[in-house]
Amino acid sequence: MAYYWYQSDPQLYQMEVAAMRKFFPSFTIDQLQDGSGRLYWRGKVQPTGEGGMVWDIMLLYKNTHPKVLSTSEYGGTVQILPLSPRLKDIADRMMPLVMETYGTYDNAVAHGFGLGLPHIYRDNFGRQEEYFICTADPKYFKGDKTQSTSAASALSWACKWIILCEMWLNGEISDDLAMEGNY
Amino acid sequence: MENNDAIAAARRRALAEALRSGEPVVVTATGEVEKREDAEMQGLAGIQVPDGKLA
Repeated sequence: MAYYWYQSDPQLYQMEVAAMRKFFPSFTIDQLQDGSGRLYWRGKVQPTGEGGMVWDIMLLYKNTHPKVLSTSEYGGTVQILPLSPRLKDIADRMMPLVMETYGTYDNAVAHGFGLGLPHIYRDNFGRQEEYFICTADPKYFKGDKTQSTSAASALSWACKWIILCEMWLNGEISDDLAMEGNY
Repeated sequence: MENNDAIAAARRRALAEALRSGEPVVVTATGEVEKREDAEMQGLAGIQVPDGKLA
């Protein structure tokens, strides 16, 4: 019996593979070895080009792909997990600065910096908690119960997020602009 | 090294401005973000970043 989305909808699987091969040919697809059956892509990107940081990224399909079950699924059914640099490590380093800026944790949360970085969320991954990149604001995201973004689109969003994050980390844009700017 | 940092910062500023002003931006095969017109001039293909704000 077809249990996973890529078994029940091989055409969608082929489309996902074709899009990634076309736009990000260095990325490779594999299956998590944790019994979950989840597929993932892994590869490296350098959004600011030569001289910029290299990010080792994992794009993980939820097993509900392509069905977005709730508006809280930021970015839909493809989760974006940077392995290097690890967001949780960066966020932990930034948190003291965030607390210094906002005084209390509640105030940091109110300004969108409860996790120490803009536009991220946390979720369990294996036995530990990891921080993932939030991609599209639900207002703009077109996923619903029948469709979601592709891994290739999700990765393009992630590269945009990386530029914004690198600017914020370098003090090139303010907190307000990082959270509320038209990015 | 400092020169590389300055070049990268200048690129980030230009791209941020393009994103802010709604100019079409693409991501190339290496994950490099480029203004679409710049990418086309260099003969690079890429996926267009969908419109809309980050969550």
